[in-house]
Amino acid sequence: MSEETGELHLEALLGDALRPIEPPEDLAGRVESTLTAITEQAAAELSSWAEGLSEGELQALRDPRNWVRPVAAVAVGTVAGGALVLVGMRRRRRPAGLRATAENVLKLR
Amino acid sequence: MSAAKEESETAEPGSKAELDRAFEELYRSHLRDVYSYAFYRVGNHHDAEDLTEQAFLQAYRHFERARRESNGRPLRPWLIRIAHNLASNYHRDRARRPEAALEAVEPPSHPHGTEQIVEGREELRLVMDRIQRLSDDRREALIMRFALGMSNREIARALGRTDGATKVLIHRAIKQLEEEMSGT
Repeated sequence: MSEETGELHLEALLGDALRPIEPPEDLAGRVESTLTAITEQAAAELSSWAEGLSEGELQALRDPRNWVRPVAAVAVGTVAGGALVLVGMRRRRRPAGLRATAENVLKLR
Repeated sequence: MSAAKEESETAEPGSKAELDRAFEELYRSHLRDVYSYAFYRVGNHHDAEDLTEQAFLQAYRHFERARRESNGRPLRPWLIRIAHNLASNYHRDRARRPEAALEAVEPPSHPHGTEQIVEGREELRLVMDRIQRLSDDRREALIMRFALGMSNREIARALGRTDGATKVLIHRAIKQLEEEMSGT
């Protein structure tokens, strides 16, 4: 086998060995709902905080030095969302190993 | 035209709605890429799902800036770089190598005789075993090239290397595999 043919053969083998893996059907929906939950939570934090503001406080918000609180609210929402994700992940996590891997690959193909 | 695309075009450019629609398109287009990459890096279905989810959450948080800085270039290398960093953290935290994912891939069946099938499967198992023995950067470059079909330029951006260095990296990875395969 010439060097070029050998390389082509190897590339074909690599193409076979490293085929794309289809994600589980429910993954897209789960990512979507997690993102939605995070953004809704952050929006709710901001909205409940903004509702309690007086006219004077709203005026004061035009000064960037007073932006710490809304930024903190977004951060809290994000962290809370992240925590939800982690909880969800831990709940879903099952023991993995060589056998599980083999079963999953076979299931996916 | 998809509903998401239609909404994206009607939303004010740069608005939250437009940004969300654009992100939705991004993740629908590249979910399989990120998942495939994660699977080949971590070696099991459950952790690959978690890593994919985390990658998209991180991407969402930085999407606006990434889009602004990309100057219209595709965002797939950026996404894969996020997954790459998360996979590195995963291995660092657990101090372990990928769990036999490449060995576990079932070789495809071919419409040939039994002898050829056995021979083909053996060859495929051998190449998977040899891929596992490559250095991390060589193995990652091959995953990006063959599982994701990324160009040298995209791989270079995902790995934070120059185009030239990436070309050399892939060439050496294939050369090493070839030598190891011919030596068996």
